[in-house]
Amino acid sequence: MTQFDGTPHPAGKAVPGTVNTVLGPVPAGELGVIAVHEALLSVVPGAEHAPDISMDRAEIFETLARKLSRFRDHGGGTIVDSTGMFHGRDVKLYEALSRSTGVHIVASTGMGPEEMLGGYFLTPQTNPPTPWPAEKFAELFGKEITEGMVVPRVERRGPAGLIVTATTREGTTATDESLVRGAARTARDSGVPLSLRFGADALRDLDIALDEGLPADRVVVGGLDRRDAVAAGAPLEVARRGAYVALDHAGSNDDPDILDDRTRAELLLDLVRAGHVARIVVSGNAVGVAKGRPDHDLPYEYAAQTFVPLATASGLTPEDAQRILVDNPRNLLTVR
Amino acid sequence: MSKVNTVLGTIPAEELGFVSVHEHIGYGMPGSELDSKWWKTPEQAYGETVPKLRTFHESGGGAIVDATGICNGRDIDYYKTLSARTGVHIVASTGFVGGDTALPHFARASVDYLTQVFVHEITVGIGATGSKAGAIKVGVSRGGKMTELDRRIYRAAARAALSTGVPILTHLAIDAETSVAIFREEGLPLDRVLFGHVDDGPNAPITRDTWIAEQGGRLGFDTFGYETELPDPPFWARPRQERLDHFLGFVDTVGIGSVLAAADANCSPLGWPGVKGHTVNYLFEQLIPDLKDAGWDEARVHTLFVDNPADFLSIRN
Repeated sequence: MTQFDGTPHPAGKAVPGTVNTVLGPVPAGELGVIAVHEALLSVVPGAEHAPDISMDRAEIFETLARKLSRFRDHGGGTIVDSTGMFHGRDVKLYEALSRSTGVHIVASTGMGPEEMLGGYFLTPQTNPPTPWPAEKFAELFGKEITEGMVVPRVERRGPAGLIVTATTREGTTATDESLVRGAARTARDSGVPLSLRFGADALRDLDIALDEGLPADRVVVGGLDRRDAVAAGAPLEVARRGAYVALDHAGSNDDPDILDDRTRAELLLDLVRAGHVARIVVSGNAVGVAKGRPDHDLPYEYAAQTFVPLATASGLTPEDAQRILVDNPRNLLTVR
Repeated sequence: MSKVNTVLGTIPAEELGFVSVHEHIGYGMPGSELDSKWWKTPEQAYGETVPKLRTFHESGGGAIVDATGICNGRDIDYYKTLSARTGVHIVASTGFVGGDTALPHFARASVDYLTQVFVHEITVGIGATGSKAGAIKVGVSRGGKMTELDRRIYRAAARAALSTGVPILTHLAIDAETSVAIFREEGLPLDRVLFGHVDDGPNAPITRDTWIAEQGGRLGFDTFGYETELPDPPFWARPRQERLDHFLGFVDTVGIGSVLAAADANCSPLGWPGVKGHTVNYLFEQLIPDLKDAGWDEARVHTLFVDNPADFLSIRN
């Protein structure tokens, strides 16, 4: 692995037992505490072209470096940028941030839901303009692992460490389904895990991914601390199927659609009591720098430093806390 | 003096000369930049583009309007180098090719916000380039009818055109009743709008070209060269003679004052293979000889490619 900025890190077949970081594969045991569903730079597609939005690179770097250093100083080892390939991901910036702060950064490929896609995928220059099918998404995402993540129209860098997708809140669309199937195939064939942020029905979305032959323990389902998911019994059912349950709104305490930390901790303990401690991950969905969307200025260390201690105070054992913060996300991220 | 914004600065309209009013340095649907199958090295992009612009210039071409708009690979810094090195004026567009090509940040935006974006690009500049847009691109999404987003973009474009004085180019002129109603509601004179692609293969039969002219709009016969005679024609191609007859007949009955012509070619396409054998220079190599064969004199050609575009592109305020 080179430390020179100008040299792309080698992509290729993902290496079992390692995790793909922006600086190359890292042995899974070195990751430490992992914040698994966060965002570094999050840009609503198109916002980079808006005249009222500043894209000051030095300022973005400074803000992210400060937040990552703080995360590291509070015991954080690895951060996963789970925004995918078309929501502000800036691989070269992340390489520099990782070198500068010493925090491992895992960047992700994938995209979704349908509304967040560019016209290239939805209304291609064919007659009729048929949206992309699953196999084309699988090929696009797969190349981000076998050939490296894109710096658009310029070069490829290191391999993605996570494939992310999401479905529409009002209900999974046909293109959402293509995205989930494509992402699941990429995960199945590459050994890199899948993060699925469900839209309306977590189990239905998960079953689409599993239908592609992806083992359930290669999937983390995001957003399961949403009240509608809890009401539907989804967290427990997702864990029963063997997928990881992301309680990834730690620190969210005033959104009527999402559990607050107290009830989130209760849900976590319910899952532990039901025997699923090995399937729980927690995160904050913090956004380091937001462009074109509201900030979510939550410290990256919040889940580990504030939320999990709350659960510990309610009866979570220190051993289980360690599993949730270190072992589970490591097992998820480790390339098979 | 009449003025026109080009990527290298504001110039007198008298300096434009021969104009092709609807072209693309390089067009790619948003998201195509993620698919490395389309990537080109700078050597390749310049290598494909410079000879076409040089031929255009040597044939008498003075300016092109790049009708690419926001989110479709528009690259002003690149255009500036091309313009400076080839001597071809390039007028850049703000706006969007259609709702289909507006990314979520803009697709979710209000008419007021979109208007501000367009006005900023016309009066202050595009990004950090300092170059001001000289036209506004709008268009009809795939499917044949204007979507709600298309209509929002048209309305914002009308307001920006009124306040800045730059004209509007449309991608497709179908569903013209809807767009004309929007422009009327906003009080924009229709001679500030070039209703484009009236000569397009699949859309010409459903485009009310005469009606648009009767309302006062300008008509873009601006896909010249996309013809079924090509070795691998695109789905919007049309037989050469059929297009030419359409154009000649229209000019005969409606007059030359409201028409503009172009090739809508890509110098070096960004997110699609492009159409082999089709360039802006079709205008010199095929169209003008065809017009001469049909009895057009130099003065008429001058009206079509010099006077009409200068009048259309001149900032009116």
